[in-house]
Amino acid sequence: MRLGGRSVLHRVSLRAEPGELVALAGPNGSGKTTLIRAALGLVPIESGGVELFGAPTAELTARERARRVAWVPQEEAPRDNVALREYVLYGRYPHLAPFGGETAEDRALADRALADVGLSDRAHEGIRTLSGGERQRLLLGRALAQGSSLLLLDEPTAHLDIGHQLDILERVQRLVRERRVCAVAALHDLNLAARYADRLAVLSRGRLVADGPPGEVLDAALLREVWGVEAVLKRDPHSGQPYLLPRRTLDAARLARPLPGGRGPVHVVGGGGAASPLLRRLVDDGWTVTTGALPLLDSDTETADELGVPFVAEIPFATLSDDVRERHRRLLDAAALVVVAPFAVGPTNLANLEDLMGRPARGPVILVDDGGIARRDFTGGRASALWSRLEAEGAERVRDVEAAIRRLGELLSRSA
Amino acid sequence: MSLSAPSSSVPKAPRTIPVALFAVALLLVAGAAIAVTAAYFELRSPSTPPGAITITDDVGRTVAVPPNPHRVVVLAPSTMDSMVRLGLRDRVVGIDCGTTLSGGISQDYNDSQVSAWGLTNSMCVETAPSVNLPQLLNASPELVLASTIVSIADVEEMSVTYSIPVVMLQPSTLGGIAVDVTLLGEIFGVGPAASTLVGQLQAVLGTAQQLVTNLSFTGAPLPTLLLTYYASPDGSPAPGYWTYGPGTFGRSLIEFVGAASIAASSALPYFEMSGSQVLSAQPWAVIYGVGFGVTLATYQQGPEWSSLTAVQDGRAWGIDSNLLTEPDPTMVLSGLPVLLALLHPDVYPPR
Amino acid sequence: MAGPADAAAPSPTPSRLRRRRLLALTFLGGAALVALSPLLSGVSIPSTTVFRILANGLSFGGLYPSPCDAGVSATQCSAWVRIIWQSTVPTILLALLAGAALGLSGATLQGTFRNPLADPYLLGLSSGGTLGAAILFVFNVGLAQANVALPLFAFFGAIATGGLILLSARYLGGSVETLLLVGVALANLLSAILSVILLFNPTGSAQVSFWLLGGLGGATWGRDGIVLGGLLLATGPLLLLGRELNVLQLGSDVAQSLGVDARRIRTRLLLLASVATAVAVAFTGIIGFVGLISPHVVRRVWGPDYRAVLPGSALVGATFLLAAHDLSGLVVPDVVLPVGLFTAFAGAPFFFFLLLRHRRGAFMGEGL
Repeated sequence: MRLGGRSVLHRVSLRAEPGELVALAGPNGSGKTTLIRAALGLVPIESGGVELFGAPTAELTARERARRVAWVPQEEAPRDNVALREYVLYGRYPHLAPFGGETAEDRALADRALADVGLSDRAHEGIRTLSGGERQRLLLGRALAQGSSLLLLDEPTAHLDIGHQLDILERVQRLVRERRVCAVAALHDLNLAARYADRLAVLSRGRLVADGPPGEVLDAALLREVWGVEAVLKRDPHSGQPYLLPRRTLDAARLARPLPGGRGPVHVVGGGGAASPLLRRLVDDGWTVTTGALPLLDSDTETADELGVPFVAEIPFATLSDDVRERHRRLLDAAALVVVAPFAVGPTNLANLEDLMGRPARGPVILVDDGGIARRDFTGGRASALWSRLEAEGAERVRDVEAAIRRLGELLSRSA
Repeated sequence: MSLSAPSSSVPKAPRTIPVALFAVALLLVAGAAIAVTAAYFELRSPSTPPGAITITDDVGRTVAVPPNPHRVVVLAPSTMDSMVRLGLRDRVVGIDCGTTLSGGISQDYNDSQVSAWGLTNSMCVETAPSVNLPQLLNASPELVLASTIVSIADVEEMSVTYSIPVVMLQPSTLGGIAVDVTLLGEIFGVGPAASTLVGQLQAVLGTAQQLVTNLSFTGAPLPTLLLTYYASPDGSPAPGYWTYGPGTFGRSLIEFVGAASIAASSALPYFEMSGSQVLSAQPWAVIYGVGFGVTLATYQQGPEWSSLTAVQDGRAWGIDSNLLTEPDPTMVLSGLPVLLALLHPDVYPPR
Repeated sequence: MAGPADAAAPSPTPSRLRRRRLLALTFLGGAALVALSPLLSGVSIPSTTVFRILANGLSFGGLYPSPCDAGVSATQCSAWVRIIWQSTVPTILLALLAGAALGLSGATLQGTFRNPLADPYLLGLSSGGTLGAAILFVFNVGLAQANVALPLFAFFGAIATGGLILLSARYLGGSVETLLLVGVALANLLSAILSVILLFNPTGSAQVSFWLLGGLGGATWGRDGIVLGGLLLATGPLLLLGRELNVLQLGSDVAQSLGVDARRIRTRLLLLASVATAVAVAFTGIIGFVGLISPHVVRRVWGPDYRAVLPGSALVGATFLLAAHDLSGLVVPDVVLPVGLFTAFAGAPFFFFLLLRHRRGAFMGEGL
């Protein structure tokens, strides 16, 4: 099945196999709804055309089109309390003879569709007695009764609670496979799309920018480029599909304050969990952050990984190697500011303090000291000495994370 | 992928004939029946009765009237007056009236007319809001005499649909009254009686005309007159005095009594003059009609009534409204002399 | 969404038995009404005589050749026969036919506009007819042609209004809301023009006022034939569009996706409704409420399926108008109130009654 359209949509072409559920995703205004409406003939096409099954739809009558494509709209507001059985029977309209009524076959198909969506036991009740989720099932049933090879669903989960969202998508998935029809569903929830769809087609500004299995299509770059969202992608062990944890919008990231001098990130030195609150806070506030040197499996490393903060890491429990130290020094040089978290200093990471010597002369260094370096010194006094020397060289000491942030803000405004 | 052709449904014969088709068939059968009946009734051309005479009525219609009709419905009190004077009262089987609630015949005929002419409610044919056809048909009339108060549609219904000839009588001048009397004489074969009556009318009209001519020789201007048959009280949405415009028998009456109507420049035949209009005209005399519930009090409640010099100087006179509103021989024979005496006491009645 | 109110909603389609019972009741009631209506001729004719006259006519002279009692003169008897067969029966027929036309038109309009308050009067079709009639009164067509010209002018007035609404659909967009607004705007505009005409022609105003009140006077076999013809013209196609009307209720887009070309079907429906209305208005003036109430009654009894609502509304409309006509002659002795007044008097409280019985969601047609 191929769909092609132009003007608002630029040569979008989708292919679906019977038994496949294709999720159509994209930000608002990307053309998802336009595509669906164009395929249904609800949108007047100014230039270009729409093809279904390779044949241009402009030549089809409404009936012929209805026999090929069925629509499950987002919602319907019925005026009359029509019985469910009758409602589904409306789906048979494109197949009825001009002056004939519904045949036994039509009724059977309608009843089967009603059973497929699990509403048979309520066949004689009125549509107005249904909840939103049940109503969506009913609309699906009507579309199934239409007996077409293609189902188009426009945001079927839009007005549903989570339970009904899962329910409707499960049904669609199952029915699509059972009946060997294809379905294209516009979904705004990417996690649901990834979980239930066989393929994911992504529209951006009227163009098809990605088309393939969700695992292949969804990545951070796509999210950034199409949705302008910074997100973390994980893999759902249950379904094997990716799921994403959105972090923040790129706009917010772009609002990150320019640093003194207008370049360079903030580098946080830490370890053992001491840097984590700082890292989170800085990232939330929009700073570009780097961190190091940390041992792998350290909680600060986990945090950095989660937040997408670049870091320099060493194998756990090893002393910082020269190679790591070199890379750390490069990060320090690139940073505009350094914030030193109150981390426990031991022989393995004493080099972190050593590499800071002389740094205050090149740029602001903030020491976050909550209770005194003494308690954190496991190097027999060498860490305390380095700490004091840093202060003597011009590093500022603040009491806690909040104070550090405030100080950063002051430094920023001063440089502006 | 199997590109299944859209499921071609072989239309199976429906189990039951749709109600719709059945209803359509029923309507067709009913329609045929009605069409046949309609054709039978509507397409018969009305047969002209033997010996019918063709006359032209007051609105220009050519009507084929049966000779010497004995069952006549008269739908205007003015025509009734003529009929009685011509001795044709016993030929009248139906008269115009209001609905039972509004008084039946006493809405259109005052008590003296009812008793003098022997009118009963059984003769009633309601004319408002439209002519009551069943009542009309119940009287089995051979002819209907109507004024233009009866609507075009009703006239068509009576004459075309039910083949009852309708003669419209609506004189627009006092002279027209005489013309109508002649017409009636022709229709009912009472030529001599008609001539006598016409002679009486012309005598009075002639006297009046002579008087007006004499007055014009003296060079004195004609007295200005407000001739009113109804007043809407001050405080109502449209207060004023109802009078006659050009082209009506009322205007003709004013001219014959040797007066100048203060409504000279109006465009409509029957219209209302506002208080200020009357006040600025300050007519020399006011003649108002009383009867059928309208009294002096009605006019006293009219706008600016007490400011009119005619009222203040005692030149406001009330007369039977029938004499003002019904263009019939009584208006000429009774009304005209009364008005002449009121307006020109020094020259009428002539010594 | 569902709420506690919906739990109390009546079952969507009343049981078959109940429907059949109500249908039988309507037929019986209607038949009784038709049988008894000739007794109200406006002139007192003994009832037995009435039935004998009817029997005589229906059997084409076979039964009761002398239908009147002994003491009645021949002239009087023939007058009565004439009254029954040339005035009373055509009037009854006109009531039935015009009522059916108005009921059908009202149901069609309510379905087309998906609005339970739509009716021919609201959309200006009736006003268009009146304006047509008023124009005739103003230009004073010669008396010889008035019989034909009056209904003709009224008919084309109503049709023209329907056409205007459809025309505007082409240029202003054919959505349901647009059509409704254009209709309402037209109704008001035509009323205003009418008022202006009446202002400058007071002589015509009495006749137009009569029109505005609506009446069944002037019914003849010929006119009935015309009304029937117009009714058939509209009814046939309309009854066959019941299914499409059902699908249209789901919304224009959904209907389109199900294969119902919403715009084309709506055009057809409007056209047919205009014809039905026009042919009724042409001969009866404005009679309100028939087109509004009938569909509601049918929906309440039969459910929302338009394949039943359309013919049902015609039946109910016919019965309603005949009942109103009969009552209008009975309520005040010897006075025939204009039937349009009467349908309003009868219709308004009925409407309130309907609303009270379905306080929750009634307006949106739930269960109606």
